[in-house]
Amino acid sequence: MNTLLLLLAGFFLPLFPLSMVFNWLLGRFGHPGIRVALIVVWPQIGVLLLLAAGVPLTGSAFIWWGLATAAFYAWRLLTVRELGQWAAMLATSAFALTWVMAADGARAIDLHAFVLGFALAPALLVAVTTLLERRLGAAYSGLFTGMARDMPRLAGLITVVLLAAMALPIFPGFFVMLDLLLDRHPAPVTVALLTWLLWSWAGTRLLRDTVFGPRSNRNVADLPVPQAWAFAGVIVAAVVLNLIWTGV
Amino acid sequence: MIKLQWMIPLLPVISALLVHLLAGRLGKRVAQLSVGMGVVTFLVALWQIVAFIASDQGPSWMGIGSSWGSVYLDPLSAIMALVVAGFSLIVHIYSVRYMAEEPGYARFFMLLDLMTASILLFVTAGDLITLLIAWHLVSVMMYFLLGQNTESLRSERYAFWTFLTYRIGDLPMVLAAVILFQAYGALDFPTLFERLMAAPETEVFGMPAAITAAGLIAISAFAKSAQFPLHTWLPYTMDGPTPVSALMHAGIVNAGGIIINRFAPAFVNADGVLHLLFVVGLMTAVIGSVLMLTQNDIKKSLGYSTMGQMGFMIMECGVGAFSLAVFHLIAHGMFKATMFLSAGDLIGDARRHDDVPQNPLYTFLVDRKTGKATRLPWMAIGLVTLIVPLAILLLAHWAVSPDFFQKQGAIVLLFFGWITGVQVLFATHRLDATNPVRMMLMILLSFALIVIGYSIIGHTFETFLYPDAAFREALYHAAGLDAVTFDVLVVLLGLIVLVGWIGSYLASREESLFGNRFADLRLTLYSLISRELYIADLYERLSQALLEGSKRINVWMRWR
Repeated sequence: MNTLLLLLAGFFLPLFPLSMVFNWLLGRFGHPGIRVALIVVWPQIGVLLLLAAGVPLTGSAFIWWGLATAAFYAWRLLTVRELGQWAAMLATSAFALTWVMAADGARAIDLHAFVLGFALAPALLVAVTTLLERRLGAAYSGLFTGMARDMPRLAGLITVVLLAAMALPIFPGFFVMLDLLLDRHPAPVTVALLTWLLWSWAGTRLLRDTVFGPRSNRNVADLPVPQAWAFAGVIVAAVVLNLIWTGV
Repeated sequence: MIKLQWMIPLLPVISALLVHLLAGRLGKRVAQLSVGMGVVTFLVALWQIVAFIASDQGPSWMGIGSSWGSVYLDPLSAIMALVVAGFSLIVHIYSVRYMAEEPGYARFFMLLDLMTASILLFVTAGDLITLLIAWHLVSVMMYFLLGQNTESLRSERYAFWTFLTYRIGDLPMVLAAVILFQAYGALDFPTLFERLMAAPETEVFGMPAAITAAGLIAISAFAKSAQFPLHTWLPYTMDGPTPVSALMHAGIVNAGGIIINRFAPAFVNADGVLHLLFVVGLMTAVIGSVLMLTQNDIKKSLGYSTMGQMGFMIMECGVGAFSLAVFHLIAHGMFKATMFLSAGDLIGDARRHDDVPQNPLYTFLVDRKTGKATRLPWMAIGLVTLIVPLAILLLAHWAVSPDFFQKQGAIVLLFFGWITGVQVLFATHRLDATNPVRMMLMILLSFALIVIGYSIIGHTFETFLYPDAAFREALYHAAGLDAVTFDVLVVLLGLIVLVGWIGSYLASREESLFGNRFADLRLTLYSLISRELYIADLYERLSQALLEGSKRINVWMRWR
């Protein structure tokens, strides 16, 4: 194990406080393409560094550091109201779990697939953030409630993306989480489960302040049908590919 | 036959997809499509159980994937699939008219179909991963069904409570799956259970796998079946549409009993966990009943009634009567579904015809006014009240299973049955009737019919669900206590019941065992109970503290 390389990997598979760099970068760039690219590519660099440093990380403090970061960011996620920041913190929390995945050794392809599976929901959230910003000027929860009635297609998309963000079945995050948990020691598994629970809590808080609630009665255009189908296609493709990958 | 088992969870999924895609074209007629698919699902489930019993081949399993994605056909999955499909069909039919004026009509039927699919997948799952997927999906679908009225923040709030508690229950289930997989290296149930029964002492990371997994599954069951102290969501879920309440109280809340039965091979090797089930179930039954009696909101009262029943169901598992728990949950489901679904009609009838019957039964049951005096001799009533229920219970059980005295669990349940019988007779003998002897005979006859019917059906059900007599014995044996502890507990319970009776007798005469000495304590106890033991408030405080901490940290760290 090369500790220096591992510390460097800590920037890309975010370990607190090194994680602040990743979050700062995601806040710094406004263009959705760059943000999505950052979410997808950044942790892959971390995986490469991790592999170069040498896995397994058996007994390493980095495993618990990763777990603590994941739980810490999941807790912070509870009170984040801006969707872009929410996506960044969720990604930080999820990517930090890669350290646990690498604890007992994992194939390079499994580690790459792991971070890719977790990148899907934050990347989609960035896209949703852009859609909301174009319509409302900002993507804050609580700014426009009752979307289920006023903008049913956009509300449907937000709901599905948030379910994916909460790593619920049958989205890739769920299987990635199971892959992480099934072969581990119960102690880190318990912390990872707590993190998972906090994601669910944070996700439903966001749903409450966007999809649910009284109608805002503002004349805002819903998601056009072709765009809704395009998003549905991407999500279904990701789900199907993941199901094939996991062995069905 | 096993191939057809796939159709049971798949048909409602197809229905949901069709409802979503055709909603614009068919309008409200999509409900008929959903009902039609519900009928087909029910018929397939019926065919499966009939074919399973007729074939006499035993359980079968079929997977479609290399690691997960399988269904299991055994007595538990066959009977539960039929029950769930049946309840779901009734709720579907009821909702066609009931939901007609509500916004999101097509969405409601889509969600109802997806919920049905999730429960059906849960009961027919053949491996740990498929089961986990279904177990999680039930939580998700419940959240959206309870929040069907998207504009009501109150509905969303209680849907959120339910979802969060369900999630708390989902996660121990994952941990249990992790432990079972690591201990036995199998995901599919037939292999897993075979290995578990062959090597129940297997350890994982120094922990006994069967006991740890059973304990975690029990916690998961507690959350799903509203066991104390994870019960606070249940009484508040009435803000959802009535059909959802019916489906929830008749089916979804029973998930705890089903999961315990599914993992019976783990529980049979975890005697300590069975005792935990008994204690938690008993506490839930008592607390649920007490809270039910003190509510002034009829809906919350119904919610606590379900909580009490769920406590009793878990308690039955705790004494080793696993099949009885399944029988109980089916019977309770039918009863509660009928109550919820007929409530609207009853209110409507009452509004149309205000002809309240002023007969003695109405005065006794609704006005809570007892007759002037007991018409039968006090001693005769005392003897009949105490001895006859016991005799009926003993004879009925002896007739179906002569060796039941060997099972502590059966004795505990008999004890509760006896107490219930005595309570019924004790409460009703004061009913003012023109012919008290005839009335008492009718009550006894009804009691005997219920007990005999329940015993025969329960016994038949037990041999269907657990055909292996040795396994049934092992379950009762695992739930047993050493003779001294058991006897002490029975005597203690008997004394508590006796003191309770004396207290209630004196209260009916406006007297008290202790005069006014404990008036303050009673008042404190009453306010504690009327505030539902402050458990929901405690959770609220805890969650507020977590949210406040999160907010402060975020501000301090500039949201990075």
